Amino acid sequence: MLSDGLYRLRSLFRRARVEEELDDELRFHFEQTVAKGIREGLTSDEAARRARILIGGIDQVKEQCRDARGVWPLEVLLQDLRYALRLLRQKPAFTAFAILTLALGIGANTAIFSVVNAVLLRPLPFREPERLVKIRFSEPGLGLRGVLYSLPELEDLRNRAGVFEYVTGTCRGSVNMTGGARPERLEVILGSANYFATLGVEPQIGRLFRLEDSVPGLAPSAVISDSLWRRDFSGDPSAVGRTIRIDEEAYQIVGVLPPGFRNPSRTGRSTAHDVELWLAYGFMAPSDPKPLRSARAFPGVFGRLKRGITFQQAQARLAAMAAEIRRDYPADYPPQAQWTLEITPLQDDIVGNTRPTLLVLLGAVTLILLIVSLNIANLLLARASGRQQEMAVRSALGASRQRIVAQMITESVLLSVIGGVAGIAVAFAGLRVVAHVIPSNIPRLTEVSLDWRVLVFALLTSLATGLIFGLAPAVHTARSDLLPGIRENSRGSGASVKTGRFRDVLVISELALAVVLMAGAGLLLRTLRSLMEENPGFNPTQIVTANVNLPYPGDPAKDPYHTLAKQIAFYKELARRINSIPGVARAGFVSHLPAASTDGFRFSLGIEERPSNGAADLHARDIPINPDYFQVMQIPLVSGRNFSNDDEGGKPRVAIVDESTARRYWPESDPLGRRIRMGQGAWMTIVGIVKDVKQDGLDVVGFPHVYVPMYQAFDVSEGYIFRDFAIAIRTSQPLSVLEPEIRRQVSSVDANLPVYDVASMDELLDRSLASRRLTANIVSGFALVALLLASIGIYGVLAFMVGQRLPEIGVRVALGASRSDVLKLIVGKGVVLAGIGIVVGVLVALAAATLMGTMLYGVQPHDPVVLVGVSVLLFVVALLASYLPARRATQVDPSTALRTT
Amino acid sequence: MAATIELPQGTLDLLILQTLALAPQHGWAISERVQQISSDALRIQQGSLYPALHRLERRGWIKARWGVSENNRRAKYYELTKAGRRQLELEKDAWLKLTAAMAQVLGMA
Repeated sequence: MLSDGLYRLRSLFRRARVEEELDDELRFHFEQTVAKGIREGLTSDEAARRARILIGGIDQVKEQCRDARGVWPLEVLLQDLRYALRLLRQKPAFTAFAILTLALGIGANTAIFSVVNAVLLRPLPFREPERLVKIRFSEPGLGLRGVLYSLPELEDLRNRAGVFEYVTGTCRGSVNMTGGARPERLEVILGSANYFATLGVEPQIGRLFRLEDSVPGLAPSAVISDSLWRRDFSGDPSAVGRTIRIDEEAYQIVGVLPPGFRNPSRTGRSTAHDVELWLAYGFMAPSDPKPLRSARAFPGVFGRLKRGITFQQAQARLAAMAAEIRRDYPADYPPQAQWTLEITPLQDDIVGNTRPTLLVLLGAVTLILLIVSLNIANLLLARASGRQQEMAVRSALGASRQRIVAQMITESVLLSVIGGVAGIAVAFAGLRVVAHVIPSNIPRLTEVSLDWRVLVFALLTSLATGLIFGLAPAVHTARSDLLPGIRENSRGSGASVKTGRFRDVLVISELALAVVLMAGAGLLLRTLRSLMEENPGFNPTQIVTANVNLPYPGDPAKDPYHTLAKQIAFYKELARRINSIPGVARAGFVSHLPAASTDGFRFSLGIEERPSNGAADLHARDIPINPDYFQVMQIPLVSGRNFSNDDEGGKPRVAIVDESTARRYWPESDPLGRRIRMGQGAWMTIVGIVKDVKQDGLDVVGFPHVYVPMYQAFDVSEGYIFRDFAIAIRTSQPLSVLEPEIRRQVSSVDANLPVYDVASMDELLDRSLASRRLTANIVSGFALVALLLASIGIYGVLAFMVGQRLPEIGVRVALGASRSDVLKLIVGKGVVLAGIGIVVGVLVALAAATLMGTMLYGVQPHDPVVLVGVSVLLFVVALLASYLPARRATQVDPSTALRTT
Repeated sequence: MAATIELPQGTLDLLILQTLALAPQHGWAISERVQQISSDALRIQQGSLYPALHRLERRGWIKARWGVSENNRRAKYYELTKAGRRQLELEKDAWLKLTAAMAQVLGMA
């Protein structure tokens, strides 16, 4: 209603004027009434007295007129805010405590939410990111998800599926680059020429890949990231057109990506750096014959769905196409493999398994905020009891209950908004810390920032928090009978008994939530401990590791390591030189260090004289090593023999399997002497069995591993690519002494080889637990805060109870109650509260723990040790928190206590 | 003098509107007038008169302006608006129907 709005506005902006008019109007009425009385023969005093009675409470009338005018939503808010501010200033200790805990609670929530926002919620920074999907080839019949694909299969996606606008294949790797400010080891993407078109990005300068870059092999064009451009080319636009050398071959920089562009995948595995270099890859060597369907060698592919095609439609069409292809080429697709295609939104794919971690963290901070709210609600309730008298007076002066509730809620929301602003500051500071400590294996972390979504979240969180902790005391005050409050000595009135019960419920909830958080922290800590105690299968102490890569130019003429003989010569010479370093016992070479590699490639395993494709789970990972590797790592040989320097190319192929592979595939017989092969590779004779190693990470129950001699593994004719390797050195020397020596020895063999990621094996193992450790530490920190807040809560309730019941306690003492009787009275109350809280908390924790299942290792979600430990700890702390007020009660001097009432 | 009766719920607005239908009045005069016309049977609680006036003004049924009273004092005069006149007819109608029905039920018609 227009008139209504104008009326309210007038009320707001001309408040003084309106108030004055109201005064005038009522005074006029009063004077007229008095005048009438005098006319009727009363004295002027008597007439005035009667007039006052007739009108009633003038302030009440005024208040009702103000309500009738409907001004209060705006004007009263300002008034309430002023009043609330004054109150907060009057109680600096309470205010400081409330704002501090709120700032921590809201700050922690905001910080964790901003991580969740960046990782899970914010769309990928590409054009229409919802149309981007990761495509996977799977063989569910063999239990394999994400198998390699062949060129004809890639062509099927492009030409036969009909649901994609673009399909782009990718291979990820790392290369040596020279020609910039310094030689660099870079993460590289070899992508189809339409890679950038698929994502929908424009270059910062220069161009991205074009049709002409789509050639067999690699096109001589390179696109670089903004970070590389600034680091190595000092942000000079003339970098476009410059020639760089990548693994000995010349490429021309054609374009620079905009800042913030990131390859949509998890962060790199070998160097933990983002991809900074892109090469256009034609997926075929110039001399290749017609590619075979069975030549499956490519790992990555993603696509952009055609506009108007839904995710479900695309998935259905791809499944149908896979069925057609299986029927058309039965020889290439054995039926039991059930080869098929599946898609996932690219965003979900990138986020991967970090989702449960983030959700657990988000749950933990939410619990913290709830506890903070309950605690403040508790303090406010205590204060509200103290303010009964004030409220009764306000009510007598004409304030409606609505008005009193609004006033109290204004106070608490003001508190929470101040806390929220402080919380945003806490989150901002916290994020800087978090960015340094959160392990790099959480994707998209570099995108974490406080954007509008985060700020809105923080604001809503603080408002909601204020409402939650403000509503309870406000409603309580409004519901209780206000009249007794106006009497001076209202202690022990029904209202405060009810308040007491309500506060008990709040404290019990706090304790229960604390139990849940502590149980979660306990489970995560036990997981961490059992992982740290996990036997990795080798002795990681006194091992220094380093990574080296041989260049792999596409042009064989430029390849210094083109033949197996050249590579063997290199490895043997490098081993000889490293072994000559003083303090080095022995150097081993391996394709992937245990617990450091996260790529999950595995190959189908062929066993001679066993029908192929018969067993669904015949697959394994091959790990090329040199003969000294097992000794260096102290991986015990169970039976058979180790590799020797004679196991070279041209000699009979041999392999060593681990115990679990032996148990799994030869449960009844001895595998020694049997022949196996990886994929379609050459047959190898098993010559030895070694103990299991946690090759794929301490928390991964690995799939079978087959060790092969690296001097046999390089076989160019098999298309085998193995040029990245790690050196593991058993040594008494510290890392700092050894590192320059390793670099010197590598460059004395080949000066063009970069050495990177030099680290001790202990450190690598430690790093592989970094993410879990961080999560466990954060949740434990939260659990500590929860414990502290809960004990403050229980202390507060009991201290208040003691204060209220001082006279009663005085009487008891006067009548002969002993110190221990009084102690029992108060501590008993604490014990009851803690007991109920713990029981409720344990029940909730039991129900909630299963949600954490995927994050646990070596501990059951319902681990009794954790639950009992948490309960005992909380009980002891609650006991301590109850003892302090109880002791105060025992020191009551009965005469003083009785006199003050 | 007839005994004073409590004003039934909702009748105060009707009384105010009816009184103002005759001529613009200030608050005091309205209460005097109601008392007078009803032969002292109806007495408006002073405490509820002004909140009611402010509420009616907010609804747009009456409007206020400052004028000069009979004894030369500044006073706030209220008058009916067009909407107020319509509202008065509605409420009057409803009231008459109610009382007629009540009389019928109570066996007095």
